[in-house]
Amino acid sequence: MMYVAAVFLPLLGSIAAGLFGRFIGDRGAQVVTTLLLGVSAALAVPIFTSVALEGHSVIVPVLHWIRSGSLDVSWALKFDTLTAVMMIVVTWVSFMVHVYSVGYMAHDRSIPRFMSYLSLFTFAMLMLVTSDNLVQLFFGWEGVGVASYLLIGFWYERPSACAAAIKAFVVNRVGDFGFALGIFGIFFLFDSVSFDTIFAAAPAKANTIVHFFGIDWNAITIVALLLFVGAMGKSAQIGLHTWLPDAMEGPTPVSALIHAATMVTAGVFMVARMSPLFELSNTALMVVTLVGAATAFFAATIGCVQNDIKRIIAYSTCSQLGYMFFGIGVSAYPAAIFHLFTHAFFKALLFLGAGSVIHAMSDEQDIRRMGGIWRHVKVTWALMWIGSLALAGIPFFAGYYSKDSILEAAFASHTLVGHFAFAMGIAAAFLTAFYSWRLLILVFHGKPRADERVMAHIHESPAIMIVPLMVLAAGAVFAGWLGRDMFVGHEEAGFWRSSIEVLPSHPAMEGMHHVPEWVSMAPLVVAGSGIALAYLMYVFAPSLPGWLAGSMRRVHLFLLNKWYFDELYDWLFVRPAFRLGRGLWQGGDGALIDGVGPDGVAAATRVIAQRVARLQSGYLYHYAFAMLIGVAAFISWYVFNAR
Amino acid sequence: MILDLVPLMPELLVAAAALALLMLGVFRKADTSREATVLAGLAMGGALAVLVGVEGARQTAFGGMFILDGFAGFSKALILVASAMTVSMSLDYLKRENIARFEYPVLVLFATLGMMMMVSANDFLSLYLGLEMQSLSLYVLAAYHRDSARATEAGLKYFVLGALASGMLLYGASLIYGFAGTTSFDSLAKVLGGSGHPNLGVVAGLVFVMAGLAFKVSAVPFHMWTPDVYEGAPTPVTAFFAVAPKIAALSLLTRVLIGPFGELAHQWQQVVVFISLASMAVGSFAAIGQTNIKRLMAYSSIGHVGFALVGLAAGSDLGVQGVLIYVAIYLFMNVGAFGVILAMRQKGRAVEGIADLAGLAKTNPSMAFVMAVLMFSMAGIPPLAGFWGKFYVFMAAVKADLWTLAIVGMLTSVVSAFYYLRIVKVMYFDDAVEALDHPTNPPIRLVMAVSALVVLLFTFLPGPLLIGAKAAAQSLFAAG
Amino acid sequence: MFSALIFYMFAALAVASGVMVISARNPVHSVLFLILCFFNAAGLFLLLGAEFLAMVLVVVYVGAVAVLFLFVVMMLDINVVELREGFLQYLPTGAVVGIVLLVELMVMFGGWAFAPDVEALIQAPAPAAEQITNTEALGRLLYTTYAYLFQASGLLLLVAMVGTILLTLRRREGVRKQVIARQLERTAAGSVEIRKVPTGGGI
Repeated sequence: MMYVAAVFLPLLGSIAAGLFGRFIGDRGAQVVTTLLLGVSAALAVPIFTSVALEGHSVIVPVLHWIRSGSLDVSWALKFDTLTAVMMIVVTWVSFMVHVYSVGYMAHDRSIPRFMSYLSLFTFAMLMLVTSDNLVQLFFGWEGVGVASYLLIGFWYERPSACAAAIKAFVVNRVGDFGFALGIFGIFFLFDSVSFDTIFAAAPAKANTIVHFFGIDWNAITIVALLLFVGAMGKSAQIGLHTWLPDAMEGPTPVSALIHAATMVTAGVFMVARMSPLFELSNTALMVVTLVGAATAFFAATIGCVQNDIKRIIAYSTCSQLGYMFFGIGVSAYPAAIFHLFTHAFFKALLFLGAGSVIHAMSDEQDIRRMGGIWRHVKVTWALMWIGSLALAGIPFFAGYYSKDSILEAAFASHTLVGHFAFAMGIAAAFLTAFYSWRLLILVFHGKPRADERVMAHIHESPAIMIVPLMVLAAGAVFAGWLGRDMFVGHEEAGFWRSSIEVLPSHPAMEGMHHVPEWVSMAPLVVAGSGIALAYLMYVFAPSLPGWLAGSMRRVHLFLLNKWYFDELYDWLFVRPAFRLGRGLWQGGDGALIDGVGPDGVAAATRVIAQRVARLQSGYLYHYAFAMLIGVAAFISWYVFNAR
Repeated sequence: MILDLVPLMPELLVAAAALALLMLGVFRKADTSREATVLAGLAMGGALAVLVGVEGARQTAFGGMFILDGFAGFSKALILVASAMTVSMSLDYLKRENIARFEYPVLVLFATLGMMMMVSANDFLSLYLGLEMQSLSLYVLAAYHRDSARATEAGLKYFVLGALASGMLLYGASLIYGFAGTTSFDSLAKVLGGSGHPNLGVVAGLVFVMAGLAFKVSAVPFHMWTPDVYEGAPTPVTAFFAVAPKIAALSLLTRVLIGPFGELAHQWQQVVVFISLASMAVGSFAAIGQTNIKRLMAYSSIGHVGFALVGLAAGSDLGVQGVLIYVAIYLFMNVGAFGVILAMRQKGRAVEGIADLAGLAKTNPSMAFVMAVLMFSMAGIPPLAGFWGKFYVFMAAVKADLWTLAIVGMLTSVVSAFYYLRIVKVMYFDDAVEALDHPTNPPIRLVMAVSALVVLLFTFLPGPLLIGAKAAAQSLFAAG
Repeated sequence: MFSALIFYMFAALAVASGVMVISARNPVHSVLFLILCFFNAAGLFLLLGAEFLAMVLVVVYVGAVAVLFLFVVMMLDINVVELREGFLQYLPTGAVVGIVLLVELMVMFGGWAFAPDVEALIQAPAPAAEQITNTEALGRLLYTTYAYLFQASGLLLLVAMVGTILLTLRRREGVRKQVIARQLERTAAGSVEIRKVPTGGGI
């Protein structure tokens, strides 16, 4: 009961706020959704204790859903350690975001709609993490996609918001296509979509070969790669990442909840969930590592030159997701999930803090027009510092433990790609520290660059926004320290149990505890130098950035334009698609379908009707002739056909 | 010999009633049209009762020339119901038009007698005599309004073309006789059943016979008389034309094709498929441009015949069942629609333009509702009866792998929905120029109510009709 | 040999006069050719030994129907030229249809074959011609086996009569009609008055 309630209460809240928002009013909608989610979050704690700490994994059947041939899909909630961890993250971050939204969205015109969407998203996300089969997972997957679309386009009056929402949806479609194909492939291979059945049967199918396009492929590899395409879309990995920065068009709490803490980590979760499958394919793991490492570095480089406060954090998210993926790629699933866990807290903290800043600066988002406000918003300032310290991986903050363990695992994997990932990760760590402090310095320190009117208005956010920030800050400070032993330390095996499976041939998790000293220290060193460089460039020698940008103009433009990914896609897909669409619309639909179809048929019908009516001349001999010709034609038909 | 007469009891009753009414009319000096009409209706009702009494197992009379089986019984019941309903609606109209005469019900009785003989025919000779009895009465009825040029023209056209059709039928029958040496359906079935590959002459004879019968059901390309005659004839006559003779001729065609020529199904199927396709197409397309509602109903009936022939083309007992269900539903839809048309009067003057129905929903909601229900049903929109009629024939066609027919049938029924729904649109959304009078005649109102109810409630109580049609169809196959 | 010669003579004349019926310019001539055609058909019946049919054909068709036709044609003012125009206009189509049908029928008769057991079926109803006259044979058939058809034909004719009367009979005022009963009732006393007329005086 507790399990079902934890998942379905947000849905109840969403329905209450969405359908009856008009009756219960703004305040009512806020109270109902936040309260129900609070209950859900409270329930997540005993669930975590029972499932993860005491080891009582359960599957709660809800209903039968689809039964068709050998396809048997049920709604069932599967609770194991992985789920319990995700539950904690999702419900608590969501609860904090709900509370924060009450303050942040106070002046919006459609509060019930917003609260309803938030709760709907939370429900879908819970559905995703608790599913016990792939179809239900896909349902949750698409559910969060829809909620994300709705929330990015929440301010639908803005064309840019609508465009961003559509972009997010379409780019995700590419990934979802892969994901769906992966599900089909799994059903084809295992004749089931239920996790337990698949995992039980997976080792036996490890060497199944399928013949496809004239080449023999390992079936597991294909399926795993298809699933990973889905994960790439959802988790904004390089290639399918373009939607995430644009998604910042949505309200800031949305960015915190969906595009930092929860939804984008769904891909990581899914791959971790499918670990028994991925473990069987070294090729797939290698691809995951490469993509993850590339994303971690690539997104960090872009983050260094962006000027929109939310976009910087968005690219940071991208980059951190890359960490998680290459952690998975070297079979360090626990480390990846650990990073997911800590990242959720400090990234939500950063986003909400950024929201607080934006709120204070009268909706200004460009960090070039901020600066020197730390005196006015001391609490926010302090919280942002905590978030940034955690993000940069400064010791004893949450990020330190998780990022370190990923990097160590990458090094300890003793594979070529593992070392490549390690190198990329170290570079990204340096960049991360740099852009984090660039942001901090430009926003809070130095001279004010905003105009007086804005400066006069600067004020600390109300308590309802600050309190959630503090809760998240507590998470950002303590989550790593508290969770270290359970997630990646010596209690690891007893904690994860069967929810994650690692083959003995992939010893990264074991090896991470025995890496050379310099490997453990390297992240810290590069983070320190990143911070130092930021200070150098933005505090001590403010002319340096401009000089650098001028002297390395091409590099700067390349980074500023985000490696020209959007332009490339625009040229490669969007414009041809538009041309094709326009062609199909005007030529195909307008001229061909409408012309031949409805309009054409209607016109033809009229013409035929006139012709037929004209045959009806009224002359007797015409009629008689018609009859005779008819008979003659029938007889001729038989004379020529019957023989 | 006396026992021979038992299966003929309904026919004898109708014939005797016709003769008696003729006497009554001739010898009474006063106008007896009212009494004659009422008595004719009663006679049909009585014949129906007698029919129910004598119907049962397959019985033949007069050396196998006359047959009464389940199929004939079912068709005769439909014919009697249709005739009784149309004749009951006629009196008021004829009186108002000042053309009420006692010969009208007498001729309707004779026509009904002819139709009953047709569906009971088991020999080309009895077939021809029944057909001619019906046709002659109808020729006269078409020209019944002898002072109207249009009616006279209609009657003459019908007569000349009907004679041509009869000639074709006789020529075909003689070709078949020339091959088989018999005109009896039972013997023909035996002769043709054993002949293996059919002789071309027999096929040609069959084509001629089918042409003659197709003329009677007004299937394309033998349909040309229909719009002119429907428009020209007085409206009660058109109402009569549209229903009973169609049922009779379709039943006759079915019996001829399934019974004696059942072995030649592959041959006649081609013709039936063609005339069915052509009828559906012409019925759907030509009706669109019409402004006269009687003319529209003519094309509509051509289209409906096409749909019914879809079932016949299947050539299976399922198909025949579909045909019977179709014509039974068609009966009620058409009688009801003609009830509305008969009630179309502006200031006492009969009108027949579609535009005259404008605004009927406001001036007379109940009549507009009846018409709308009937039109929706004719268009084949579920859950009204018309949908089920189409459903059964298309099902039979699909089962017989006649996909073309089923698909074209559905397409044309979409096209036909256009003009049926146009009537609904005119009634409900156009503004009335001049309101129609309220119908005061009880029989018309009763017929409208009954037909609308049947069409509406068929979905809920399809049992009796389905079972009856099934038994009738099976009796035809059991015999052959 | 001789009867074959006679057959071909009758047949050829029948076909020739049939063609003349539709091709003669004068409608009256058409009717006369029709009568000739009937006579030839009667001759064919005679050759078959069906003397009753031959006589009926002459009496009914020639004596009644064709003569009635003749009267009608003479009374109607038919414009031959107008008819010609229509005829010529539709001749091509009609000719094509006719020729197609003719060719097909010839093809058909070329491959004609009777059903295997047709002999037995034909023999059944009629007794041998030597035993009874065909008038009697026809009568027996008509009033026994075909009684149903005979009665139906009777009703059919009645319908035709009723129809004709319905469509044509009009009761007009001021029309003088012959009422035989009244004629017979009349006596000299009631209708004739004898008067003495004075010479040169007038009435």
